[in-house]
Amino acid sequence: MVESLFPSIENTSESSPESRRKKPRISEMAEIESRRINEESLKRWKTNRVQQIYASKLVEALRRVRQRSSTSTETDKVVSGAAREIRETADRVLAASARGTTRWSRAILASRVRAKLKKHRKAKKSTGNCKSRKGVTETNRIKLPAVERKLKILGRLVPGCRKVSVPNLLDEATDYIAALEMQVRAMEALAELLTAAAPRTTLTGT
Amino acid sequence: MDLTQGFGARSGVVGPVTGLESLNFSDEFRHLVTTMPPENTGGSFTALLEMPVTQAMELLHFTDSSSSQARTVTGDIAPTTLHPFGALTFPSNSLLLDRAARFSVIATEQNGNISGETANSLPSNSGANLDRVKAEPAETDSMVENQNQNYSSGKRKDREKKVKSSTKKTKSSVESDKLPYVHVRARRGQATDNHSLAERARREKINARMKLLQELVPGCDKIQGTALVLDEIINHVQSLQRQVEMLSMRLAAVNPRVEFNLDSILASENGSLMDGNFNGESYHQLQQWPFDGYHQPEWGREEDHHQANFSMGSATLHPNQVKMEL
Repeated sequence: MVESLFPSIENTSESSPESRRKKPRISEMAEIESRRINEESLKRWKTNRVQQIYASKLVEALRRVRQRSSTSTETDKVVSGAAREIRETADRVLAASARGTTRWSRAILASRVRAKLKKHRKAKKSTGNCKSRKGVTETNRIKLPAVERKLKILGRLVPGCRKVSVPNLLDEATDYIAALEMQVRAMEALAELLTAAAPRTTLTGT
Repeated sequence: MDLTQGFGARSGVVGPVTGLESLNFSDEFRHLVTTMPPENTGGSFTALLEMPVTQAMELLHFTDSSSSQARTVTGDIAPTTLHPFGALTFPSNSLLLDRAARFSVIATEQNGNISGETANSLPSNSGANLDRVKAEPAETDSMVENQNQNYSSGKRKDREKKVKSSTKKTKSSVESDKLPYVHVRARRGQATDNHSLAERARREKINARMKLLQELVPGCDKIQGTALVLDEIINHVQSLQRQVEMLSMRLAAVNPRVEFNLDSILASENGSLMDGNFNGESYHQLQQWPFDGYHQPEWGREEDHHQANFSMGSATLHPNQVKMEL
């Protein structure tokens, strides 16, 4: 579609001295491309059906997690550990529902494997490396341009996108934000249901 | 070699270059490799490449679209003939770069995953290549033809450079909606050389994506300037992540008290999700469920009702016993 536009514009540009028609050329293409990406990601994460699927999968996963940890005694300290587990489970289910098309989803699914492997390695070694890296960059460049700094921060927030080119990073961030919003909606509904259900059960039971 | 006995005697005539995708072709090559290694009379393909047949065979593995068969076959030959071809993974990687640019797939990641499975790095590399090549055989042919011409130049470094430049061109063309070159006349007072054009295209791309992000993040429309918009985006992402953590804590607190053996919870949760949100796509599926009567009443009373209801329900529900620890 866009290719067909080119030869026609080529001819007209010779007739008109001003290249006003060429001006929207690049931005048009960029906009078309990015709009396509954004529409895809929005449609993927905004529909109700997606949310339902996610919620049901989450329930399944949580059930399995609960069964696994049901033997341990439930104290207050365990709640934070369980919260972490639940968050990781929710993230994994979210990443799974992305079907591997985005980088952050693959990173989330891969990180679990990597975390299990790294558990046995020394944690001190990795922190030592991190410190040295930060020190080096600070001495070499006192102040990166503001936008680049923020892009780096964004890259650190989106999982698996630290060393990713800027346009790809923005794409990933778009999809990630849409996915996170869906996750929040689904988990909120689930939490509402469960907290609504639980006191009722205790009340009616007694 | 066992392979010579494995493949029957075939004619030395090899199919045309377009027959790259047939497995018979690779079979014949293997036969040729094992029996007549240095000879270039293997067929038109090798003559075109002016390479030893062994290297041509490796190239063939990249472009063979019948991945599954080839993979098993490469698995057979792997320890013996494919070892000296380690260096030949360069063109495949550049091909992969192109693929990666288009499909945003990390080549190393996939290779790593696949090599973990097959426990043999070289055939897994070609296997990964074949997987990706299989997705777009049409483009592969054109790329292979480019590479063929590059190979015929002789030195591998030149080939590398040419392939890399061609991939760069194709990459940029991919980025600009799969066009070979952006023929644009510049505005008044703007440079027309390639660097500026590329720079401008890149900036436009980034700006377009930033605009979309602005639309996505609430409250970003009024802000001017990329840095502030990025600030907002970062804050939004952080707040979303914090919300997820809070919700997971809530769920963790709720969990011990309610047994999870609840399909009814699943049903009502789907129902409340539908009620609470707009755009009920699959709302028609759930019209059989009595939502309103379901939310309010006590659990104990509803059990019998809902078992009957669930039997009429949609296929997504599995009406088991509604067990509740009261």
